[in-house]
Amino acid sequence: MSGNVRSGTRIGPGSIRFSYDGREYSGQPGDTAASALLAQGVRFFGRSVKYRRLRGVLAAGPEEPNALLTVGEHPAVIPNMPAPQLAVREGLKLRSQNRWPTLERDVASLLQAGGGFFGAGFYYKTFMWPSWRAYEPIIRRLAGLGEAPGACDLPPIAVEHLSCDVLVAGAGAAGLAAARASARAGARVVLCEREPACGGELEFEGARIEGRDAPRWVAATLAELAARGVRLLTETALVGGSGGQLVLHSEPGGLPGASVLYRVRPRCFVIAMGAVERPIALVDNDRPGVMLLGAAERFLARYGVSVGRDLVLFANHDRVYAAATRLAAGGMRVRAIVDTRTDAQSDINGAGAASLRAELARRGTLCLAGHAVIAAEGRREVRAVRVAPLAGAGPVRKIACDALLYSGGWSPSVSAGLQEGGAREYSSGLGAFLAQAQPQWRILCGAANGHLELGDVLADGRAAGERAARHAGQSAGTAVEAQGRDEARGEARGETHGDGAPRLVAFWRSPAPRKAEKRQFVDLQNDVTVADLRAALAEGFVDIEHVKRYTTLGIGTEQGATSSVLGAAILADLKGEALDQVGTFRSRAPYRPVALNSLAGLRIGPAYRIARRTPLDGWHTANGAVLESSGLWMRPRFYRSNGDDAFAAGVAEAGRVRASGGIADGSTLGKIEIAGPDAAGFLDSMYLTKAGTIKVGRGKYMVNLREDGMVLDDGLVLRLAPDRFVATVSSGHALHMLSHFEHYRDTEWGGRAVTLTDVTEAWGVIAVAGPRSRSALASVLGPDWRGSLESLGHMDFADGKFAGRDLRLLRASFSGELAYELHCRPGIAVPLWQALIAAGLAPYGLEALDILRVEKGYLVSSEINGETTPYDLNMDGLLKLGNPCLGRELLDRPAFHEPSRPRLVGVRARDGRAKFLAGAQLTTEDESRHAAGYVTSAVYSPALGEWVGLALLARRLDEHAQITARDPLRGGDTPLRIVSPVHFDPAGERMKS
Amino acid sequence: MFVWLGVALYNNNTRAYSACALLRARLSGSGYWRPLWSGRKLKDAYDVVVVGAGGHGLATAFHLARDHGLKRVAVLEKRLVGYGNVGRNTTIVRSNYLLPENHYFYEDSLRRYETLSKDLNYNVMYSPRGVVDLALSDDDFAGLARRGNAMLLAGIDVELMDVAALEHYCPELEPRRRRRFPILGALVQRRGGTVRHDAVAWGYARAATAHGVDIIEDCEVTGVRTNGGGATGVETNRGYVQAERIVFATAGHTGMIGTMLGVPLPIETHLLQAMVSEPVKPLLHTVLVYVSPGHGEVYISQSDRGGLVMGGHLDGFPSYTREGRWDRLEDVVQGAVELLPRIGAIKILRQWAGTNDMTMDGSPIIDRLRYDNVFLNAGWCYGGFKTIPASGAACATLVATGSAPDLIKAFRLSRFATGHLLDERGAGPFPVRQ
Amino acid sequence: MTRLICPFCGPRELREFEFHKTLPAAPGSAFSRTYERVDRHEHSVEHWQHVEGCRGWLLVHRNPTTGEVLETRLLGGAAAGGAP
Repeated sequence: MSGNVRSGTRIGPGSIRFSYDGREYSGQPGDTAASALLAQGVRFFGRSVKYRRLRGVLAAGPEEPNALLTVGEHPAVIPNMPAPQLAVREGLKLRSQNRWPTLERDVASLLQAGGGFFGAGFYYKTFMWPSWRAYEPIIRRLAGLGEAPGACDLPPIAVEHLSCDVLVAGAGAAGLAAARASARAGARVVLCEREPACGGELEFEGARIEGRDAPRWVAATLAELAARGVRLLTETALVGGSGGQLVLHSEPGGLPGASVLYRVRPRCFVIAMGAVERPIALVDNDRPGVMLLGAAERFLARYGVSVGRDLVLFANHDRVYAAATRLAAGGMRVRAIVDTRTDAQSDINGAGAASLRAELARRGTLCLAGHAVIAAEGRREVRAVRVAPLAGAGPVRKIACDALLYSGGWSPSVSAGLQEGGAREYSSGLGAFLAQAQPQWRILCGAANGHLELGDVLADGRAAGERAARHAGQSAGTAVEAQGRDEARGEARGETHGDGAPRLVAFWRSPAPRKAEKRQFVDLQNDVTVADLRAALAEGFVDIEHVKRYTTLGIGTEQGATSSVLGAAILADLKGEALDQVGTFRSRAPYRPVALNSLAGLRIGPAYRIARRTPLDGWHTANGAVLESSGLWMRPRFYRSNGDDAFAAGVAEAGRVRASGGIADGSTLGKIEIAGPDAAGFLDSMYLTKAGTIKVGRGKYMVNLREDGMVLDDGLVLRLAPDRFVATVSSGHALHMLSHFEHYRDTEWGGRAVTLTDVTEAWGVIAVAGPRSRSALASVLGPDWRGSLESLGHMDFADGKFAGRDLRLLRASFSGELAYELHCRPGIAVPLWQALIAAGLAPYGLEALDILRVEKGYLVSSEINGETTPYDLNMDGLLKLGNPCLGRELLDRPAFHEPSRPRLVGVRARDGRAKFLAGAQLTTEDESRHAAGYVTSAVYSPALGEWVGLALLARRLDEHAQITARDPLRGGDTPLRIVSPVHFDPAGERMKS
Repeated sequence: MFVWLGVALYNNNTRAYSACALLRARLSGSGYWRPLWSGRKLKDAYDVVVVGAGGHGLATAFHLARDHGLKRVAVLEKRLVGYGNVGRNTTIVRSNYLLPENHYFYEDSLRRYETLSKDLNYNVMYSPRGVVDLALSDDDFAGLARRGNAMLLAGIDVELMDVAALEHYCPELEPRRRRRFPILGALVQRRGGTVRHDAVAWGYARAATAHGVDIIEDCEVTGVRTNGGGATGVETNRGYVQAERIVFATAGHTGMIGTMLGVPLPIETHLLQAMVSEPVKPLLHTVLVYVSPGHGEVYISQSDRGGLVMGGHLDGFPSYTREGRWDRLEDVVQGAVELLPRIGAIKILRQWAGTNDMTMDGSPIIDRLRYDNVFLNAGWCYGGFKTIPASGAACATLVATGSAPDLIKAFRLSRFATGHLLDERGAGPFPVRQ
Repeated sequence: MTRLICPFCGPRELREFEFHKTLPAAPGSAFSRTYERVDRHEHSVEHWQHVEGCRGWLLVHRNPTTGEVLETRLLGGAAAGGAP
């Protein structure tokens, strides 16, 4: 083949070197892997899933079931790429799949000898002894198609949002006509086409449109579309979407890499995605050399590739004759045309059948009407076919050939018309299913709408485009230009004709004896044969959905494009039912297989989820903090200068806080402002105790319940003014609590004059704790604040300014030490923090925070975990106040008062130095299998020199109970004793100083 | 080996399955195998009518016939055997639950899965490849430890792995790799894994039929006829069928049952998506479960055919359309690629959805419903598949004997009113958070 | 399902909203309000919130079998013209 420069509509001169299965090949710019390899005589492209039969190329598009190649070198390979879609590029490395050691000599192909033993569903009937596990590793290695990647080096995809009135998917004749009509009517149009070039079948049909050659018409139309501002996206396919938003995926060169994901919400969507050609089931129709008729035409016209020298054509429609003429003109010999229809059924373009057949006979082509190819022969590839009459007596002929090109008709690509409404309807004229009952904003046209003749296709496309523009205009409320002005330029006067009406007569499978049915392939990739369909029926799998699951029909990478309707039709035939009774299985997005990397969009790697950072984040990072995710927040766990790991540093930092003092970043604390004349009353209903009793300038520790009585959250509520409060809630809970408040304000307590605002990010928070906290604050805040510092009692606060910015000084403690919280505008957080450090306080992180609060028995989400009632958490005192708030009613349920209900206790090891951890279960001596509770929090306490913790323990056990912390998962058992949850400074002296 | 000649189990109407049987079928040509469940005629009256031929309905019918000797049992199915959630799930089985009321029950089910192929003489392909619950924070670890320790106390196998152990167990996960949320370890149940979902439905259907159960497809129950204090039968699109006892096992449609019987139920039906990739050679050898902050949730395994099967959280609102929202598909894919970056070039092939009956505490309901002779087996949330064997056995005992076995006593309907909730996550009465 | 139309903000992507619960026909006790749901296949009455927009709470009438949205109304003070 070297030295032969091919010409075609998609290729140019030049040489591109690539490799396939380790051998070097060359292609021309514009070639696909399939066209380049076929041009160089390569016949074998892979092996089927189950029987590992050698396979060649069937189709010229993404519906290719056989020729799937692995691209690249291990580990970052890309598996299962259809060869007809892969553009060749310099240095491309390709490998066939599912074979070992080589494609031509595959050890597992001996499985073919198993024949009927390995029919559909055979694995349900065996592989049980001794267990499935014994067989699974081998089965898994035999199954699967493409190579498993060991890595992925694809860059993140680009994502673009498009805005348009009309989206047209498909730029064949119908799509171009639709886009043109919409654009002429003034709509903003986006036109997408999955191939690199537009025109669809017009690329080879040899048609004339509006007085011009089809390719010229295509070019002129594209130029007009460009002039009208239509955005054309080639190599871009519709993949999915929902709720009116569609998702397109562009893959230049057929490989992920420079991919783009488009999101578009058109006012109207025109589906012009054409129809997919179908094979016919005949014996050994999977042999390399058996190809779809339209595919051979495309390989010739686009890439100048002759798929064989001696062809036999086999079809059930008129197109086969036009195709024969074109293929012969391309230099191939058409040995025979086998037409399943009788002379009476076929018309052949209206010309007398007899004369066309005579012409063909003169050229050496045998024309057989009322016949079918019943088998492809040849050990590894097609060498001949056997042809038999369909009715009556007659000889079975054997015709030598090296390619069998067949076509059983076309299945309109209707998947996108069956989501969110749309109904499938069978058309017996087409032998295919159409999508009807479309919503107003979605229109199918052209071959996708069941039109196969060029004149109809163009008219249907144009009508669709006009309707789409009208609908878009109506839904946009804008006027639509009167169409038709441009038509006056004479386009309509030129003749339009392509291949005529196909006059298809449905034909699904050639006759065959029962024993040969297991080699009549219906789903080529998954090796599903007519015998499998028959077997499924015999076992009672009658519905098409069951047949699909049982036989694996249509679940391959071609998503049933070439197999689902064929399979349904053969099933109907076997059942003796009509095809529209049988139906076919539900089609869903994605409409094309799409790489995970593409679907993930921008959210991969560090962008997987956002990171929320506090105003002090930069300081932490620059000063040796080890940051950890706390929900979406990044918070310092400890500072490296204090220890090598969290444990050591945490103990050191906590110890220092109690010894002298420290500062912690509490900015993630949720803060919600509640304001309005009804604010106090509203809060009364939302919290366990009344907010109305809080005085201005003071705060109170408050608890809310969930609707079902469980404790939802706790925090401080500060009263800024008679009608203004700030509620603090747990970090990460702010939006949840805000929704909770908003819900009740707007529904059950609806109509109250209350505004709710999330101010979490409006305030940075610095906790200042320890014996030296007050003096440090005094030196940092200056004389303006001295009075407040001296007079603020526990839970009091004062508002003022620091460096001209708002500052709130709150006396509150989460450590049990004398402590304050600075709530400041984010802009002054860093200066304040740095000033406090200069004043002698050192930072402490989450680890130390946890140690300090456990020592004091304060609660966090480990205790307030959605499973605990206020009784469980020793909040009886608050409950006794009797405020009828949300959740009180359902707290009365009997289960919550049973002795098995937990109670919050403190725990310590009976052997003072033993360690125990949160998550240990607690058992008593008499009940060692059923836990009586568990440890919710546990830390090593530097203040007490031993491990201390909090636990939830059945209330039937008193403080003398002998309990053991059971932790077989991590270490073992630790006997514990029950103590007060307040381990350190039970009287709370340190806080009050 | 004689067991596998399948002599014991079946009558003349069902062929036993085994490798030898396959050989015999091959030699005898076509017509050897019998239909699994079809061809039965709907009778006028039954001892028990089970409504719904999903996993739970079929398993219940099977046990009623086999274990309790009930001769007149029917399963009435609106569409097709296994058409609902049993054929749409991500095939994961496990018993790694926190609450004793749950983990004993799920463990019973897992043990039954271990021998189910033998019991049904149908290969359900139980693959104990491990279920890995990943920990992304110390809080996660504490939570996983609490759950794991509870399981070990109950005698259920589980282990806590650190990064090194996880790296050894699942190298393809690359746990040391830098991620937005670093992996710190995992709770691993080695006996958990996957089971072929269709096989469970078809296996139970075949076995039930072999024991005399009538499975009737295309038979929709439209109402319940009652007199005085009990139900007398069901109205169907094929006429009235008398029944001494009725069991509703209609996951995805339980709300309608509540309406039919005039009983409001603590169930909200939500849509759950799943998807599968194109088949590739073995890449992932266990089941990974990943829950990250920011609504990131994905569970992923590789089927024996080679496709990566994955799912995530509920779509988030009630839907019977069985069409998922696209942005949830993207969420799941993001999580999958975050977990296993090497799968980025593999393509998603197919997506589908099921309708899940979510209860107000995330745990199921197996109890009487309004009448003494009407039973509800429902509210399986997204855990229905893994419980089919235990649910079938226990529900059958309840229906046949009238009293609930200990294993399911806690799943009573009254628990919401009495406060005996079984809320594993502490999420409260909000199914979208379960 | 098409986008939700927030009465305050207009038609917005579904992602901006969060579903809360379905509602029974008639309000009852705290128990029935909290625990009982009515699953109506053709006409579901629901509470949603426009969390990533005006944060208004919506009463939504929807057909969960077809996905069609029948009606959306703003709840609470905002419905009466007050601030949301």
